[in-house]
Amino acid sequence: MVKIPMKILLVDDEKDFVEMLSLRLGETGEKVTPAYNGKECIDILEKNPVDVVILDIKMPGMDGIEVLKEIKKRFPLVEVIMLTGHGTAETAVQGMKLGAFDYLLKPADFDDLRLKAETAWKRKEEHEDRIRKAEAKLLMRKSGGIA
Amino acid sequence: MENIRILLVDDEADFRSAIARRLSKRGISAEQAGSAEECLDFLKNSMPPDVIVSDVKMPGMNGLDLLRRIRQEYPNTEVILLTGHASPQDGVEGIKSGAFDYLTKPLEFEQLVSKITQAYEKIQRREEKKREAVLREKMEQQMIITERLASLGTLATGVAHEINNPLAIIKESAGWMQLILKKEELAQMPRKADFEKALGKIESGVERARRITHQLLGFVQKNDSVLSEVNLKQLLEESAELVKREAADKDIEIRHEFSPSVKNIWSDPYQLRQVFINLINNAIHATPKQGKITIKLEAAGKNVVIQVKDTGEGIPKENMTRIFEPFFSTKSPGKGTGLGLFVTRGIIDKLGGKIELESQVGQGTVFSVTLPQYHELEEESEESRQSRFKLFDTILKK
Repeated sequence: MVKIPMKILLVDDEKDFVEMLSLRLGETGEKVTPAYNGKECIDILEKNPVDVVILDIKMPGMDGIEVLKEIKKRFPLVEVIMLTGHGTAETAVQGMKLGAFDYLLKPADFDDLRLKAETAWKRKEEHEDRIRKAEAKLLMRKSGGIA
Repeated sequence: MENIRILLVDDEADFRSAIARRLSKRGISAEQAGSAEECLDFLKNSMPPDVIVSDVKMPGMNGLDLLRRIRQEYPNTEVILLTGHASPQDGVEGIKSGAFDYLTKPLEFEQLVSKITQAYEKIQRREEKKREAVLREKMEQQMIITERLASLGTLATGVAHEINNPLAIIKESAGWMQLILKKEELAQMPRKADFEKALGKIESGVERARRITHQLLGFVQKNDSVLSEVNLKQLLEESAELVKREAADKDIEIRHEFSPSVKNIWSDPYQLRQVFINLINNAIHATPKQGKITIKLEAAGKNVVIQVKDTGEGIPKENMTRIFEPFFSTKSPGKGTGLGLFVTRGIIDKLGGKIELESQVGQGTVFSVTLPQYHELEEESEESRQSRFKLFDTILKK
């Protein structure tokens, strides 16, 4: 069976980390786009479809929480997993209240990360599926009304 | 005045015993010596008295010379001289040499009593001052240690924070390489096993470093303490159960001495469990085979005291002040992170308690943790505090 790649957007100001984790996730068949700050993250989301955003909380400029709010406002279906250092565990909880799917402590366990990303992706797919079905129903009813 | 110890030195036995008798009627017991030499003998062989009342004119060594000897060798003893009526200069000379005061013969008994009282008060003041000085020094020392720990803690957690990122990079890099090695195209790669071995070592090294940084940062978090009612007996038994195997390996007996009067307390059970496990674990490591560990639980006013006592090797004095420092460890590298007691102390501080230790090299060590019956985290609002207090009260009354 050919794996359908998950479209991941990885956001962290730590360039080497983003690069290496991207390569590692890429090796397991996912399609990873790197971003190094919040603005870049939003720019990419505007232009490309993304399934799951892996988002560092502590970043200069726009911090992870602000980016999360922006994502949830403009791209509500995109799932977000927060990456946190130890001091920001509370922020992670706040992030989940704001709609993040889950969070991971840095340095995160790779299998953990993949599992959470997969689950988030699945949720997004199911959500989109329901939307498609609802839209179809709506369309049927409308066309039925015309006929 | 009942406890005051007096020595009368005079070559006239009748005079001495008359004074002694009158003093004893006032509840003051006095020893006697017939000469300066006898007095020095007495001092050598028993605990020096508080006040010595000595005649100046005596055969053999005279009172002034005796006074000088006493001043030199027994600085805590006060001396009152008795001088003849005709020679007040002896008294002046005596005061110059460090006598508390002098009285002239024939002796006015009331005067003697009041002089002795004054001398005794002087001794008490001096001892009070000494105690204060010792206490002050102890407090200053404690403050130095606390400040030192605080700054070391800040430094260590700062370093841990900074190290986390490069650690993540190393981890992802090694992980990526491991994935590549598993690819089909590399199935025939020469010395593949060597690469895999080295990558495995990198991975376990990173894991070790990660454990340290997490442990260090673990107790810095402020808000995720969850306070609840804690049954210390249960918690201590549970903690001991978790390290039972290690104790059994060394044939160490763990005893419980739980006072039934200890009530449940309001604290953080998860963090307390970490504290207890750390302390019991340390005790097991310090105790030789067939040793004994005693876990004690007692009520102490509004607090509870938990003691973990071992019959281990003890802690040398020079390590006592350093034992709570981060990364201070006497275990071999890789065996202990040197963070156990540092974290333990951090947790106990946060929970409003204190930790103390007593140790005797070759005999063993006792760690005492004092915890308050109720503890509130600093961040908590007054409102939620009140409501929880009520809740806790109802729980207690049930």
